Amino acid sequence: MPGDTVVVAAIVERRADPAEIARGEYRIRLHLDHLQTLLGYGDRVDRFAVGTRDARATRDAVARINSAAYGFRAHRSADVAVETSRTFAVVSRFHRAIGTITIVASAIFLLCIMLLKVDERRRDVAALRLIGCSSRTIVGSVVLEAAAVAVLGSLAGIGVGGAASWIVNYHYQAVYRTPLRFSIVTGDIVLLAVSLSLVLGIVAGWLAARRLVRTPPLALLGR
Amino acid sequence: MIATLAFASLRRHRARTALAVLGVAVSAAMLLDMVMLSSGMRESFRSLLLSQGFQLRLSPKGTLPFDTEATIRSADSLVALLRARPTVAAVSPVLGGQLHFPVAGATVTSTALGVDPAVQGDYELVAGRNPAAPDEMVANDAVLRALGRSVGDTVRAASGYDPQLRTLSGQRVLRIVGRVRFVYLALDQRAAALPIGTLRAMNGPGAADRASLLMVRLRPGADVEREREALLARLRTVTVISTSEALKQVDERLSYFRQLAVILGAVSLVVGFLLVTTLVTVSVNERIGEISVMRAIGVRRWRVVAQILLESSVIMLAASPIGLALGLVTARWLNSILARFPGLPERIDFFLFQPSAAWTALGLLALCGVLAGVYPSWRGASQPIATTLRQEAVG
Repeated sequence: MPGDTVVVAAIVERRADPAEIARGEYRIRLHLDHLQTLLGYGDRVDRFAVGTRDARATRDAVARINSAAYGFRAHRSADVAVETSRTFAVVSRFHRAIGTITIVASAIFLLCIMLLKVDERRRDVAALRLIGCSSRTIVGSVVLEAAAVAVLGSLAGIGVGGAASWIVNYHYQAVYRTPLRFSIVTGDIVLLAVSLSLVLGIVAGWLAARRLVRTPPLALLGR
Repeated sequence: MIATLAFASLRRHRARTALAVLGVAVSAAMLLDMVMLSSGMRESFRSLLLSQGFQLRLSPKGTLPFDTEATIRSADSLVALLRARPTVAAVSPVLGGQLHFPVAGATVTSTALGVDPAVQGDYELVAGRNPAAPDEMVANDAVLRALGRSVGDTVRAASGYDPQLRTLSGQRVLRIVGRVRFVYLALDQRAAALPIGTLRAMNGPGAADRASLLMVRLRPGADVEREREALLARLRTVTVISTSEALKQVDERLSYFRQLAVILGAVSLVVGFLLVTTLVTVSVNERIGEISVMRAIGVRRWRVVAQILLESSVIMLAASPIGLALGLVTARWLNSILARFPGLPERIDFFLFQPSAAWTALGLLALCGVLAGVYPSWRGASQPIATTLRQEAVG
């Protein structure tokens, strides 16, 4: 009732909960009967949580409750988790789509840079051709160089990615007041990024080198 | 002459120029998408809120509309009080609840909105008419599909369960008189609307004279913010939310997407900038002899600078239309992904195309194109003529 005194029994820190990522400014926990009285809710609750022994017991309990209950349904916690994490599933799909666009842009960027890098070597390539080096040797050396550049770039990229991930987590954990991690650099992700960069670098180097070795050496020298 | 030389230089390395244009086009597409994301979501939500012409919303104190199950007491007297104000054109009370339809041994549950059909702003009629009698309702396609009914059919509905008696409570037989589309509800959300008096009666004495939300339409020329403040000062049991207040709340809740848009937009610009700078720098390095010859025969320094700046700008601008088209396609794809957010109103678009978004992206690209040419043009124009010519001649 208005004017009643409330004793704050404890102040608790929220733990990670995927269902509660949104910022909740204020949260008060009361004994169930106190809240029911306060709200004039009567002998009603929104939901029960039931502990079971194992997966089979869970299935049996869900089936028995749903066949006997009237006006409410029992759900497995796993199903509830799937339902409440639909938001995360959508965000995850969105991130994957953005990632795909980024990969396309990076691939074109890498291809351009590799073409330029190899193109800069046109005089060296012409000289190598004139002293008798085979096209195969030249293409091999250019591809090796492209691979080395791609690996070095990937290593630098891992560093930048790790730092960006740390900044993202630091920022959004503060914004949403949650210990959940928003960005995780896993081994799979690193492997994908390095492989992609390596493949793109080698392909770009090979394409550019082939173009160079097919051009007459004197034309490469501008004569 | 400047344009001729710039185009000749770009044509000389066609593959390189084409790749640069393609790279910048992808960056431009991403930039356009991010500009659309940062402003479109807000604009889309604003259009949604104003689509039915209601500028103010009154919800139980401390809550946002339909954020909780709390309701406003003495809603009818509050509606009368609001309607008496000279600035108010219409007030639409809304009560939220649920309807349970027993169908062939099972129950179909849907969201229920109790409304005043004469002034409601929650749905648009697709077929049929508004409820005119207490036992009439309108429903959306999701409900009609689940029930296997159509306009003109009758259906038994209840507002709740009585677990002790194992029966449905607040039962009524309702006639479906209209097929509607709910403005603020998700596409796949089952929903029906019926007169607010009927829903209150079905919910029992506890719901008498209650409303979840009051929507207020002001007369033309009324100052929305002044009216909001006046109502806030006078009414102690409700929160008064204007469209701009609601937008602030939305901004806060969806700040993640705005920040993501700013970061990815900036990254796209930087990538485009780096790509063009690299290409033009290499191109200038290759032509350093030509540039020195031009300077030696009397071509002014500013002409050299202008030619190189033009080259970088042309790459950026040539990529813009491709990027625009690509951006619109990817925006549609990304929007279709985000449209699956649970509970998102059907009409909310995260990527809303507005001409201002395209102009912003184009302006940023043009600026980037000019900036990308600054370093190579400075390098090209500041080379010592005699030394460069001698080095080029010696090889």
